[in-house]
Amino acid sequence: MLDSERQSIDLDIVCVGLGPATGGFLTTLSRGLIRADGTPEIESKVMPGMPLQVACYERADDIGFGVSGIATRARSLKESFPELNVAEISLAAEITSEKVLYLLDPIGAGRRSPTLRMADRIIRALKWLPFFEKDAFELPYIPPFLRKEGGFVFSIGQLMQWVGADLMSTGTAVIWPGTPVSGPLIEGENVVGVRLVDQGVDKEGRPAGGYMPGMDIRAALTVVGDGPVGPVGRQLDEHFGFPEGNQHTEWAVGAKMVIDLRDDVRLEPGTIFHTFGFPEPEIFGFMYAHTECIVSAGIFVPSWFKNPARTSYRYLQHWMMHPYFWRYLEGGRLRSWGAKSLQESGRRGEPFLVGNGYARIGEGSGSTNVLTGSGVDEAWMTGKQLAESVLELAKAEKQYTKENLEQTYVKKRRSSWVEKEGRIAEKSRDGFQRSVVRGMIGMVLAGFTGGKLTLSGKSGKDEASTLEDYYRGKIPPAELDRIRRECTEQGLPLHDALMQKVGWPEIPFDGQLLVSQQDALLMGGKVQAPAGYADHVVFLYPELCENCGDKICVEICSGQAIEREPEGGVRFDREKCVHCGACFWNCSHSVAAGEGKSNIEFRAGAGGLHSAEN
Amino acid sequence: MEKIVVLLHTEPDGTLSRPALEALTVVRSLAADLGSEFAAALVGESVQEAAGLVAGAGASSIYAVEGSDFHHARYTSDAVALDALCRRAAADLVVAPGTSRWNRVLPGIACRFGGRIDTHVCDINVEGGAPVVTRWYYRQRMKARIGRTQRPWFIVCDPGSFSAFEGEVKEVPIEPIATPLAETGFKTEVVGFQKPAEGGQTIRPDAELLFVAGAGWTKMQPDGNARVGDAERLILSFLKSTRASLGGSKSMVDLSSEGQETLAFMTHLNQIGQTGATPRHPKGLSTCCHGEEPHVVGWRFITERRAVNLDPNCGWAQGKADVLYVGDAFEIISKVNELLAEG
Amino acid sequence: MNGGYQIVVCGSIVPDPLQTLEPVAGPTGPALRNEMMLPAVLDPWAAHALYEAANLAKQHSGSKVWWVALGPKAKLQQLMMSMAQKVPFELVALDGTASGFSDSWEVAEALAGAIESIPELDRDRLLLFGGWESASRGTGVTMQMVGERLGITDQFQGVDELTIESDGSLRLLERVEGGHHQVSVCGSPPVVVGWATGRLPEPPNNPQVGMLNMRTVMPALQRAKLVQLSTEGLTFHSVDLPEQRRETRIVRDSSADEIALELVDWIKSD
Repeated sequence: MLDSERQSIDLDIVCVGLGPATGGFLTTLSRGLIRADGTPEIESKVMPGMPLQVACYERADDIGFGVSGIATRARSLKESFPELNVAEISLAAEITSEKVLYLLDPIGAGRRSPTLRMADRIIRALKWLPFFEKDAFELPYIPPFLRKEGGFVFSIGQLMQWVGADLMSTGTAVIWPGTPVSGPLIEGENVVGVRLVDQGVDKEGRPAGGYMPGMDIRAALTVVGDGPVGPVGRQLDEHFGFPEGNQHTEWAVGAKMVIDLRDDVRLEPGTIFHTFGFPEPEIFGFMYAHTECIVSAGIFVPSWFKNPARTSYRYLQHWMMHPYFWRYLEGGRLRSWGAKSLQESGRRGEPFLVGNGYARIGEGSGSTNVLTGSGVDEAWMTGKQLAESVLELAKAEKQYTKENLEQTYVKKRRSSWVEKEGRIAEKSRDGFQRSVVRGMIGMVLAGFTGGKLTLSGKSGKDEASTLEDYYRGKIPPAELDRIRRECTEQGLPLHDALMQKVGWPEIPFDGQLLVSQQDALLMGGKVQAPAGYADHVVFLYPELCENCGDKICVEICSGQAIEREPEGGVRFDREKCVHCGACFWNCSHSVAAGEGKSNIEFRAGAGGLHSAEN
Repeated sequence: MEKIVVLLHTEPDGTLSRPALEALTVVRSLAADLGSEFAAALVGESVQEAAGLVAGAGASSIYAVEGSDFHHARYTSDAVALDALCRRAAADLVVAPGTSRWNRVLPGIACRFGGRIDTHVCDINVEGGAPVVTRWYYRQRMKARIGRTQRPWFIVCDPGSFSAFEGEVKEVPIEPIATPLAETGFKTEVVGFQKPAEGGQTIRPDAELLFVAGAGWTKMQPDGNARVGDAERLILSFLKSTRASLGGSKSMVDLSSEGQETLAFMTHLNQIGQTGATPRHPKGLSTCCHGEEPHVVGWRFITERRAVNLDPNCGWAQGKADVLYVGDAFEIISKVNELLAEG
Repeated sequence: MNGGYQIVVCGSIVPDPLQTLEPVAGPTGPALRNEMMLPAVLDPWAAHALYEAANLAKQHSGSKVWWVALGPKAKLQQLMMSMAQKVPFELVALDGTASGFSDSWEVAEALAGAIESIPELDRDRLLLFGGWESASRGTGVTMQMVGERLGITDQFQGVDELTIESDGSLRLLERVEGGHHQVSVCGSPPVVVGWATGRLPEPPNNPQVGMLNMRTVMPALQRAKLVQLSTEGLTFHSVDLPEQRRETRIVRDSSADEIALELVDWIKSD
């Protein structure tokens, strides 16, 4: 057979994406596949006599190269590993103290509403209170639904490496990192496997040296755990649509750094901070203390933040330099950096969980709890529930049909805390679409009433303002035009110039923690892209980009991989992409009647972060 | 007292290369610090001329394996010669230059004698009556000072790390050492050398200046077009007038093996850095290259470093270059070429 | 060649090249800070050796590739996930340190022992491949010592090309000084080949190859022999990162003409 002919292999189960959900799935499944005497508990249909043939294809170049700094209650993980000793997992620690902080704006450049400004004044007037320190007000009481007590701080990269090593050593499932999946194989209404991406192609995807068409992996069950921006999940969404009333409309991009603290700073491992209020009221932040004087620090920039020059990187730097945190972080050293998209619709973004031949787990299946800010615990649980269901069905020699999966997996999920808590959280953040204060009140109401009371917001997709609207009264239109023109000529994003114009101070680069975004790619993310793959960010109608005034994709791009072209368009540089996927949901152009189809297609691609500490 | 020998091979013309002369400096100093003598062992088609210089350096005895079989660098014949020489010298400390010829064969010989070997040695001192060797680990990313109790200890000096011995030629007797060469001859025959075509020679180890081209030369320019042709013309013209040696970053040389549009004359041999070469030149000029740590590792032995990059915050700005010029390399190198052409 | 070649490739893990490395004092000598957390890859030169081996095996029917790797079992297991889809091989795993600070003598002894214990290895068909240097120890000596221990004295280092001539002899291009290649012809195996970069690009991931390899990889890892490398006789007095921070003068607002003038003055200066 020629290499250039598309080949195909048959497995029993194929998984897409190795995150916590698939980790939970494979961990649970692997324990039920082999008997103590080494014979198969469940026999493979594709290789009779052998145990079930299970493989997981992961886009990133190694296990744990994704991003998420987490503080989790870890209920599901503890169920899977009752004897869990977190000391075995690098950077993991038991949570020892929790703080929720309202950060005041010591610079005065953020865009605060009159209500917030008034709140700030009151807080400053009461600064002799013990809860006020270094321009931050510590909430004296943390609502139970936000508490993570009894849980753990993890580097998700290290957690996944630990899980992956454990899985591989069982020999019951194989994991293939560096192998992006281009999409599902759909025949009629059945999913029959997945197709891998083509290799040996140029950036447009045309066959080049060493061309090998993406192989078809056919399997009785396709487990889709490829996260909120994964191509398999999103193509299933396009094909099957969403259940009535559900949609993916709310997003956030999370950016974080893993930092070595300077020698004289001591933070007890397991100390966690959550913040709101600064650098902009819409931006939430966190800092988690790991072992060995290492912290994870990051922010979330949500889709309801109106500024079209939304840059997670620059805002993260200002957040780190807030006096409350800078006393810890100053003199620190960047170890790792990364960014990812978060599906913030939660339960309301739930797609069809199952169909003939497939099941959805994890964040892409709407499991994230947007009220408690918890996703890993839920994702692991959905994977575990699916594995238990698969074992049941396989032992009963039943097919992985929609009906059978509904009666097992979906039923388990619906009766579990994932669903119960997801329902409470469902409308808890609606108020944010109108204002931050309303959003915060809405969250508290939903949290305390079990979701019975919520505050409404606008329905539909979050939209950023135009630059002119957002900076009205702050930057004159002529000045805005000049900045836009100059940045376009130089191929730069606008956010640095705009932020400086409205009073944000220049970042004093120190070469070790405060570094340029380009340096963060290399020093922190170690971002790389192998040759022989097509560009995975595609601008469908370039003329739309040329006429786009704000080009939010350039501003939000976590790796500065999307640049302005002097002629007015944009271009993509794969070698800088961290695969956060923020570009496609930030694109303000809708090109199809279908929900969420913007002018940017975010496909499966290779490369990205090469750090396992995030 | 430690017995010391320096192992040297002659060049095809019978002379000693600069790395060999550096090894002479090292062995003289080591012997002096240890209060010992040192012997010399020579291999080559003809060793007479070299032996005179080695004697001038103070070798107490000179052993030699000579003849046409030893004209070329070849593991089998070199191993036969070194085996015989090392048996005769029975040394505890063996000093040698890190040439490609010796790097190929010395580790095997060290192994044959139950000895240990350290290469990339850049300094040797005597502390407490014993040698302490400084050598590189992790490809020039860190240096260690080590000592060993095992003997023989083969110490292979990194070329360029020491001054070359200069001295009078002396007349001394050479002790020829017989070698039991296989009657059937050698299974391997050196049939020649491949050199880049005339004008295509871009690696010049003796050049004053290293010119490094990064992948930025092949990237899309602000006008939306890649200007690989312009880049080639500018760089070749620059190399021609400065006689600089050409280096490339990893991403640059990788482009060539991936069949992407790149500089026609850039190959993996040009690669500087963690997975490439670490050449020694008095000056280095980096262009269109970010200056990240793994690449800069290859600049360890470049004394004066300057860089041209569009990004004022690139790696070179972080204490890695002496001067960073923020500007467009196309424009700047074009002007440089004009000025150089004017003389 | 009748029956094809038996190609043994030696290679193990090194830190992913972009990682920041820092030495620390460990209980058994120097080590890297966060060594177990650093993402690891197959040593780039050993990877070239493996790709060349697979390519040669593909062209000569009946050939077989063994990959002998010494490294911490957990790390080797992880490496297999990214390598096993590349080319077909049979793994011979040794569970021990892959630290750059371990002594090459000890490593060579372990590797040679593992190669000698490969059943049915035919010396007359043996090509022993590896990288000519490594990104960890970086000494460029291990392969020669493995070869010596196995009694192979036709050895080549810094090889960029190996071609099989019509008479079965091997033509090799070795890197020598000045960017040149020395061309040698060796009548027949066994030979030791320390590869430089070679001429082959990284092969694509092939799931079929991966599934096939994994049938032997996991058992090989499970039976990996524990190897303790001795540090006797070797003392590390110190390990340091060389001071490399310079005072960088950043010239931001000069024209291309001004910069060119300054550069030309500098180039011409002594």
